[in-house]
Amino acid sequence: MTLTSLVQSFVYGLLTGGLYASLGIGFSLTWGSAKLLNIAHPTFSILACYIAYWLQIMIGMDPFNAILLITPLFFLLGIILYVSLIRLVCRAKDVTFTSMIFTVGLAVFLENLISFMWSPSPKVMVSQYTGASFIIANIHIPINLLLSFFISLALIATTYFFIYKTFLGKAVRATWQNPDAAALYGINKNFVTMIMFGLAIATGGAAGVCFALISSFYPALHNTWIIYLFIVVIMGGVGSVYGTLAGGMLLGLFNSIVGLFIPNSWLPFIVYVALIILLWVRPEGLFKA
Amino acid sequence: MYKLLDQKAITKIQAIIIAVVIIIAAICGGLAYYFMTLPPAKGEIVIGGSLPLTGIYSDTGKWIEKGYRYWADEINAKGGLLGKPVRLIIYDDESDVSKATSYLEKAITVDKVDLLLGGYPGTACVAQMAVAEKYHMVYVSMGGHMASFSQGYKYSFGAPPLMGEWWATGFVQFLGSLPSGVRPKSAAIITMDNVIGRACRTSMEPLKDLGISIVLDERYALPVTYETIVSLVSRAKAANAELFFANGFFDDGVMTIRACMELGYEPKAIFQSVGCIIPEWVTQLGKYGNYVFSGTPLHWKLPYVKDERPDLIEYCQKTYGGPPPQYFLFGYCWMQVLQKAVEGVGRIDQDAIKDWLRTHTVHCLAGDLTFDEKGLPQPYSYCTQIINGTVELIWPLNVRTAEPIYPRPNWSNY
Repeated sequence: MTLTSLVQSFVYGLLTGGLYASLGIGFSLTWGSAKLLNIAHPTFSILACYIAYWLQIMIGMDPFNAILLITPLFFLLGIILYVSLIRLVCRAKDVTFTSMIFTVGLAVFLENLISFMWSPSPKVMVSQYTGASFIIANIHIPINLLLSFFISLALIATTYFFIYKTFLGKAVRATWQNPDAAALYGINKNFVTMIMFGLAIATGGAAGVCFALISSFYPALHNTWIIYLFIVVIMGGVGSVYGTLAGGMLLGLFNSIVGLFIPNSWLPFIVYVALIILLWVRPEGLFKA
Repeated sequence: MYKLLDQKAITKIQAIIIAVVIIIAAICGGLAYYFMTLPPAKGEIVIGGSLPLTGIYSDTGKWIEKGYRYWADEINAKGGLLGKPVRLIIYDDESDVSKATSYLEKAITVDKVDLLLGGYPGTACVAQMAVAEKYHMVYVSMGGHMASFSQGYKYSFGAPPLMGEWWATGFVQFLGSLPSGVRPKSAAIITMDNVIGRACRTSMEPLKDLGISIVLDERYALPVTYETIVSLVSRAKAANAELFFANGFFDDGVMTIRACMELGYEPKAIFQSVGCIIPEWVTQLGKYGNYVFSGTPLHWKLPYVKDERPDLIEYCQKTYGGPPPQYFLFGYCWMQVLQKAVEGVGRIDQDAIKDWLRTHTVHCLAGDLTFDEKGLPQPYSYCTQIINGTVELIWPLNVRTAEPIYPRPNWSNY
């Protein structure tokens, strides 16, 4: 192993870590704040990949431009989904368990819908920057990944701003911490949760397109992504914006650097052992919501 | 009216209605089962099994089905097999291995099929081979690499098989043909840590005999992440490996190509095993999928297809708008081998068919195949290279369809 390999791996770990965080932020938010465990969250990300791919094939739209279209579209989709279905789930006694069961079904439905529309075969998306890199001191920094990283940071910052700096965000947190007290203050639980759910789906959609620029995608890929989401969110702390960012970065760095010192085939084992140790020492994750 | 509203009377009526519904349903179900599971009618040969017609492997499974159906239509047009019309029963196993075994068992025990169809992918074949063996029925398929053919099975044949252990055979022979001054001196190998990856890795052992040193030999767990692949490619680049071998699936392969591009890694040749044999490698990766070497046991440009069966190519051109895809040829070829064995024996006798296949050379789309005790032909693999979006045959020389591009151009010249 050379120093260049180490620094190179560090750079990639950091950049892809940002992508994991943006993929997980909406998932963490709905789970931590509204107790909604949305297993279909990465399936919406996959759907966004296909829509961006379709826009590229049909009208030649660059994936980075497609993100500008997909983000508000998915916000709207999240709101429609909340009003039509998720709102009913929120009435359950155990919202987390009921939402988990419901969204597993939703994920299966979406996967089959995507397969039906675009076939189950894998797809590859390219942008005008595919394969291009900046080179600084013999370290390659891919433009696609760098842009995706900045988009991810913007998504995380937006989420942070919404949760901690807006009345709506504070209302969301208040509602799910103490629904009765929040209602006494005139907060409409359904409305604030709807906005938050829309935001979660929008960030998931945008992050999905970013991920599609580094790997291929296919309808069943959400089954792999959900594992990453659980690792990132549980490691960082459910519902915590800082925690999700830290969890994403840690996962990215772990995947890129640990393999330089031990056989790569041991990597998942090491990741899960690290997760178990972390939960043993800090059951709430790195950060509290 | 009063009686109808009486709790007891209503219960009786309901009981009668329910009983009638149950009896009708049972009769309908029984009739449906009887008619759907009729044993083969006299005067026809039924061939059955399952394929993934929905689910993750369905794109490929459908091509195999098309190959099967083309063969069936063709033989029926010629008067049938042993003079009897052929009927196919193809169940959709939904890309699920457990369903693949259940359906094959159903085909044998309920449908009472005369002959079996090979399944897909290798994982399903491995499971179905055990079922075929249990019922002593000949099973011709791609198999599931050497491990599946090393179980001591007597009724399973790879005709041709898709063998990881042979994957790089043709490419290594091609490298051996290069003058020593041009031949690469070092190689990096990254391999997915599963039975397929390890099988493909085995085919690269002869590199040492050519004096090519392996400077990186790493396995990675699946599912693999992009940063892990980048880390591996970065190490291959740092080791100045002149050859880069990637034994991964399609997604790993795509990530490998992107990592090589982004890191400016310029090996003289890139070899990709299973990942690049699906059509998406060319259609989705576009020009970046070019110049990649691989191996195949079957190709439409082989003389056994192109020269001997131009009708197959013409049919696919006309029906599907392109030359026959590899898996269409696989489906057709497996049936072709089974047909020749049945015709050689002259009757449907599983033991006789099995023995015939072990003692005769079969001429088929893959060439002349002679099967050993494991049910495998002699190890072989045609070396391929993707040139201008087309999979070309490179080695051996007698089947070459294009001059190899070696060393490959730099990424900026793609």
